[in-house]
Amino acid sequence: MPELMNHVDFRAALEEAIKGKSANKAPFSIAWASGKLSRPHLARWAENHYHYVGPFADYLAYIYARMPERYTEAKDFLLANMYEEEIGGDRHTDLLIRFAESCGTTRERVVDPDNMSPTTRGLQSWCYSVAMREDPIVAVAGLVVGLESQVPSIYRKQTPTLRDKYKFTDEEVEFFDLHIVSDEIHGERGYQIVLEHANTVELQQRCLKICEIGAQMRLLYTTALYWDYVAKDIPIEELEAIERKAA
Amino acid sequence: MPHVILHRGDKTFEGEVSENTNLVVKAGIRQFPFPNLRYGCGMGKCARCACRVVKGAEHLPEPNWKEKKQLGDERLNEGFRLVCQLWLFNDIELDQPTMPLLPLARTPVDALGRAITEDKTNGTSPATE
Repeated sequence: MPELMNHVDFRAALEEAIKGKSANKAPFSIAWASGKLSRPHLARWAENHYHYVGPFADYLAYIYARMPERYTEAKDFLLANMYEEEIGGDRHTDLLIRFAESCGTTRERVVDPDNMSPTTRGLQSWCYSVAMREDPIVAVAGLVVGLESQVPSIYRKQTPTLRDKYKFTDEEVEFFDLHIVSDEIHGERGYQIVLEHANTVELQQRCLKICEIGAQMRLLYTTALYWDYVAKDIPIEELEAIERKAA
Repeated sequence: MPHVILHRGDKTFEGEVSENTNLVVKAGIRQFPFPNLRYGCGMGKCARCACRVVKGAEHLPEPNWKEKKQLGDERLNEGFRLVCQLWLFNDIELDQPTMPLLPLARTPVDALGRAITEDKTNGTSPATE
């Protein structure tokens, strides 16, 4: 039987749960990291990614509305995250669209939901479902700790590649730069909420489970990007060889 | 553990942070130097977090493209840095001006402070801060 964990052990368990199914091993991620993708491939990524991260403030708003009133600090953190995503500086999705345009697509194509893959639609739906239906603390664990807090480490690896291998300019890849700071704040706020309020064995276990599921969903999404847009140009064997060489 | 000294106006605040700490991230989660470090967007745009480095500048990396764009040579030469762009590994002493610096390249904003993209301006002048 699992026991109630202290904050240190619970945080370590959350981090382990997230690591379990890292999207870094997905073929799309391997192709990205090795500089194999073309700008049209990256444009398709941006057209999909918009529909996953674009509604993030909406997801948070559902959680905010259902968060008990007495959890004042948690509510304030969620509100601050929403504000920063949308109007604290440049709107984050505008920077994603700037990157998309530098890959050769257009704002109209990016915002058109008909241009996302069914799997991306599934990930977006899962995010809405978690935000609307799960216990709000479990929802913060899934969406903020499980998904958003992972972004800084992912983009920290991807941003130099975009500059060095794909030859994007600093301004074109600003979307990735900003997330290194803002998502670090948002992710840490998420950890604080979950560590503070997941105060029963059952809640802690549900938080761990949803982090695992979130990592699986992100892996599913990233894997589908490869099969939907890249596989016809870069055979899987080529990427497996790169991965074997790196191991 | 880097030791941080922050001067603001006639007050001084001190604390220890872990290696590889960004002070804006810490302030964002209400840990030292919260609530005494002023910051804004956390993305190198608004320059509200700008501080003059009094001691410890030699341990910092060269200013990145956002710092060059928003602070310019003159203020960089005076020792100003955007704190949201710095990850600390060593002791540092900072002085934050009472009034925030204005960024050199300012994003047009509407009355609510929201960034206005080109296709939304309809030819109107951007609001000023």
